[in-house]
Amino acid sequence: MIFLSSHPPHVPSGEAFSLEKVSKDYGSLHALSEVTFSVRQGEAVGYLGPNGAGKTTTLKLLSGLTRPTSGTLRLDGVEPTKDRRRALSSVGVLVETPGVLPYVRGRDLLEHIAEVKGVPLNERGAAVLHATKTLDVAEPSERLLGSLSTGLLRRVLLAGALIGDPKVLVLDEPTMGLDPAARNDLRNILRGLKKEGRTIFLSTHLLEDVEEVCERVLFLRAGRLMGEAPVSPDGQAPSSVGPRTLLVRTSDTTARERVGRAAGPEVGIEESEPGTEFLLTFRGDERRQSELLRALIAGGVPVSRAQPVGSDLSSLYMQKVGREEAT
Amino acid sequence: MNAVLANARWELLRLLRSRRIFLLVIPVIAGPIGSALAFFYFGKMEPNGAVLTHGTALMLGLFVTGGLAGMVMLDLSALSAGEDLARRSHVIAFALPQSRSSVLLGRLLVVFGATLGVFSVGALGVWPIAGAIVPALPSDPHPLYDATHLFLAMLSLLFFLGAVTLNASIITKSSSEALVAGVLAGVVTAAAAFYFTYLHQISLLFPEVLLVVGAVALGWSFLRFERLES
Repeated sequence: MIFLSSHPPHVPSGEAFSLEKVSKDYGSLHALSEVTFSVRQGEAVGYLGPNGAGKTTTLKLLSGLTRPTSGTLRLDGVEPTKDRRRALSSVGVLVETPGVLPYVRGRDLLEHIAEVKGVPLNERGAAVLHATKTLDVAEPSERLLGSLSTGLLRRVLLAGALIGDPKVLVLDEPTMGLDPAARNDLRNILRGLKKEGRTIFLSTHLLEDVEEVCERVLFLRAGRLMGEAPVSPDGQAPSSVGPRTLLVRTSDTTARERVGRAAGPEVGIEESEPGTEFLLTFRGDERRQSELLRALIAGGVPVSRAQPVGSDLSSLYMQKVGREEAT
Repeated sequence: MNAVLANARWELLRLLRSRRIFLLVIPVIAGPIGSALAFFYFGKMEPNGAVLTHGTALMLGLFVTGGLAGMVMLDLSALSAGEDLARRSHVIAFALPQSRSSVLLGRLLVVFGATLGVFSVGALGVWPIAGAIVPALPSDPHPLYDATHLFLAMLSLLFFLGAVTLNASIITKSSSEALVAGVLAGVVTAAAAFYFTYLHQISLLFPEVLLVVGAVALGWSFLRFERLES
């Protein structure tokens, strides 16, 4: 059975954290390039992108594991590079699957985390118990970490992230390695934490995680933020009420100007493949879509393919990030 | 300060749970006992026991105890940071609201404090045992090293070995490679000590240099640990 926290909900207000033109280089590799976004308090935001997009780098920056090469990162208004202790005091982190010392009990680790997070000695036991009960690992946490399964270990580590009542949870693939039932349990837990008013920043490959937990999603590719989209409150898909997107492919690499002229000023144009593939965003129904296509052809654009792009998360992911990585 | 204490407690708990804490018993017990056996052995080599004087017995006892403590120091200092870095469990500690220097300082207080402490206890046990088995005689020649100086030099050597091994563990992110580096540092130091002794040029400057080099290695370790990219 899952015990959800009985903490009174926070009153969301202001910004939980923000990145402003944050770049991170590893030698000649540009892991992040001038990434700018912010997350409001109480918001649950998904962070999607293929392997090597820079998701984990972003999370490492947010959890103080690495420093930005340039740009400004603020946690609760505080820059971790300037006051690490204060900045990280409001954050609970689960980045990657950290290795653990196999000869240490889960409870030992959680009590150490509680001590470092400043939980008073007389409240430490209760804080650990509360976190382990929330994640349904009160009993497994008494065992040696080396004896736990991947799923149980992730839950024990997630319990560690919850200790100290953090306002922000930064989670990297929290459901990775879990069986479907455990994954479902964890999503329920995350939804419960969201309802308590905690900010959740969730990096994942699993679109279902985002659909079920988050209200907004950010797309990252090759270290650059490719855009964002809302996720509808019912947790099923991004809002379908809004602009339509039409993918237009042309064999003429010089057609960019003609596309713009033919489509008109009210149509948003984004090059998904430089010169040959365009995403046209417009408001209207299918008739408007046909009119737009006719206008393009009449305007001298050699359309070789035209395809409406769906507004569900999977389609959005493929549109923003790339088809091969969608799961 | 709280973070330093929390990490010192965590290091102590790691020593307990991994049973490595029993290593600390070795210099205390095996140092004096091994020395006593050596005293008996060398004391019986000549009918009058002249091979071993009181001063030389103290030297031998300090070398035995120091050697054992050295192995403990190498092991514990290599694992204090190297184990976490090799297993990537440092990611947990680094994401907590504490400075990395607090993490390292807390751990080193236990490792260095405990190892230097048990060496001192073991070495102090050597004095009465040497006195009992090989009593000092007025005719004894002056020993090669003054025992008190050697005791202090051993403390410097242990500190130096611990600092160098720790530094290597942070550079290589591997406790096993750090152990090798520590052993090599020990061998080079022993060779240098032998060379200067052979030239009759050994003085307290030698352990002082070890102390300074150890302090530099320790300072560098803190700097590197603070800037480690995870």
